[in-house]
Amino acid sequence: MPKVHAIAVRLLLLMLLVLSSGYAAEPRRISVYAPQAVYQVDILFRDGVDYVGLTDLLEPLGRLESRLDGKKLGLTFNGAEAQFQDGKRQVHVRGNKFDLPSNFLIVDGRGYIPSASIAQFLPRLTDQSVNFHAAARRLFVGSSELHYSAELRHSPSRLVISFTAPVNPSTVIEKNRVRLLFRREALVSSGNDNVSYSDPFVQSSAFTESAAGAEVTVNLLQPATVAVADGGRTLTISAVVPQPQTPTAPKPPASAAATDSAQPQSHPARQHPFVILDAAHGGSESGAMLTPSLAEKTVNLAFARRLQRELDARGVPVVLTRIADNLLTWDQRAVSANTSHASIYIALHASASGHGVRLYTSMLPSAQPAQAAHAFMPWELAQSASLPQSRSTAVALAGGLTGTGLPVRNSAAPLRPLNSVTIAAVAIELAPSGDNVDELASPEYQQKVAAALASTLATLQQKEAAQ
Amino acid sequence: MISRKLQAAIAALVLAIFAMGGYLVHLKRKAESITSPPETGALTAPLSGPSEQMVLYLANDADDSLQTISVSSALPGDPGERGRYALHTLIARYLQKDSAHPLGPVADVHDVYLLDPSSAVVNLNAAFADAHRSGIEVEQLSVFSVVLTLKSQLPQLARVRFLVDGKARETLAGHIDLASWYDVGAVASAAAELK
Repeated sequence: MPKVHAIAVRLLLLMLLVLSSGYAAEPRRISVYAPQAVYQVDILFRDGVDYVGLTDLLEPLGRLESRLDGKKLGLTFNGAEAQFQDGKRQVHVRGNKFDLPSNFLIVDGRGYIPSASIAQFLPRLTDQSVNFHAAARRLFVGSSELHYSAELRHSPSRLVISFTAPVNPSTVIEKNRVRLLFRREALVSSGNDNVSYSDPFVQSSAFTESAAGAEVTVNLLQPATVAVADGGRTLTISAVVPQPQTPTAPKPPASAAATDSAQPQSHPARQHPFVILDAAHGGSESGAMLTPSLAEKTVNLAFARRLQRELDARGVPVVLTRIADNLLTWDQRAVSANTSHASIYIALHASASGHGVRLYTSMLPSAQPAQAAHAFMPWELAQSASLPQSRSTAVALAGGLTGTGLPVRNSAAPLRPLNSVTIAAVAIELAPSGDNVDELASPEYQQKVAAALASTLATLQQKEAAQ
Repeated sequence: MISRKLQAAIAALVLAIFAMGGYLVHLKRKAESITSPPETGALTAPLSGPSEQMVLYLANDADDSLQTISVSSALPGDPGERGRYALHTLIARYLQKDSAHPLGPVADVHDVYLLDPSSAVVNLNAAFADAHRSGIEVEQLSVFSVVLTLKSQLPQLARVRFLVDGKARETLAGHIDLASWYDVGAVASAAAELK
């Protein structure tokens, strides 16, 4: 009998463990790298199969329209047609039949395909080459892959890593190790992931990848420093040179003639984003339910991605605070804006109430010049120093939107997290033009507003560059 | 091969889990029925005394505006009670069927506390915030409407803060700040832009 009790208790503990691990698990995602966008899509686990949402996957890649008719879903992507049916494997893409490895799913009006079919399905629909690293959950669309090569050079020993395009990795320098973390770059293996060196400084290097990104780890025998050169195409890892203890004479100022042109530049100019887009809400916080099946968070993210594409097309550097359906706190959003080195923060909202586009700036009073010059501002008053820039940005954006024929209004609002953002900050609330709330999710409506906003932001960027 | 005793023990455990779950749901419902406030809505108590003019700032969702109307009523002498009565009257308008800015069915204000003649704390009930529609404009209209109606009754009022069922809350319904003090002058300026 005691043995039965022990087994029963263990069983109960196991059940609790399974339940708790299920709640604590992070949502699994696939990172997508395409020439036009880098983003993540959530994985939906159903009937033992990993699925991805078609809208999440395709919307950032091009012009997408979907039509749901009962159990049938029709898609038009950049003019190419595809038809799907809930619970069926067979799909029609560009008029050709194609079998998915598992049944197609429709959940809450959204279509899902098995993630294992992405590499076969996407090229048929998009007419672009696709490379899916299933184990790492990284998907490369078109000519997005970025390659590298590492070369050990001597006198002094240093490892020079060259990339096929500029990179900007997070660099972690540890005692005898340097880690280069590539979150947004589509870095792929060089074909030789683990290399050992016979060198007094560099011991080995390794490449690993996961859905969070790629990582190049270099194991060393001495403390190291990393320098960037060639506009971000070359990283050089070299040993830290000990400083002389007792300098006897002042060093002459460095001159261009004395600089070894082969040496990397230690402080290269980096391109900072001009705009940071913040799709409001996300994850468990849906925002307003615009229709019974359309959450504000979904519209906000789709609109942010659309605006990002429009800005990219105009050469305006842009980053997003969130690229998937995840929740950020107000403070996290403000911190992202304040550390982005961007010039303008734009929060994106949507509402079923009212008509047209509303622009909001903070309701704080503007800081006096003496206040603005203060080194520290309270967190809840951080925006006050940038309020004139926020207001002029809102006026410019409102002016650009008048061409859309939509009602546009510009006012102040006590809206989170505007007060805590230190750069020019504007919130935009998109409302339908008439009584059709579904219009908020329509590509045409979003495109019209996004194009107008992007044109104005491009003009503002040019003005800033001229100054 | 699982012994019969073990099978019986597992079955008993599963049954116990379901029974405990059911009992928990029962207890939760019982607790809710005890703590729920009576659903009276924003009923305004009749007062006796001379009639005075009360200005209400009524939100209108159709054109995102605040419109003022004057109402004659006997008003309490105590400033806090006077503010509460004005907000009761305002919210009662929003609960009417033809309201241009509908609120949740039992939205109300519990109290208005005056810390000093210039600082008021408005304690809303949970129904006001929980059932409020989500959106920058609709939430802003509600907050501005409450602040300006209160100001019309308390001329010295300079700042207002909100609580919901006695507790601080970050936003009204996901957008408009409810955790900070509102500068009444700034609200009046921003409201003027709405018109």
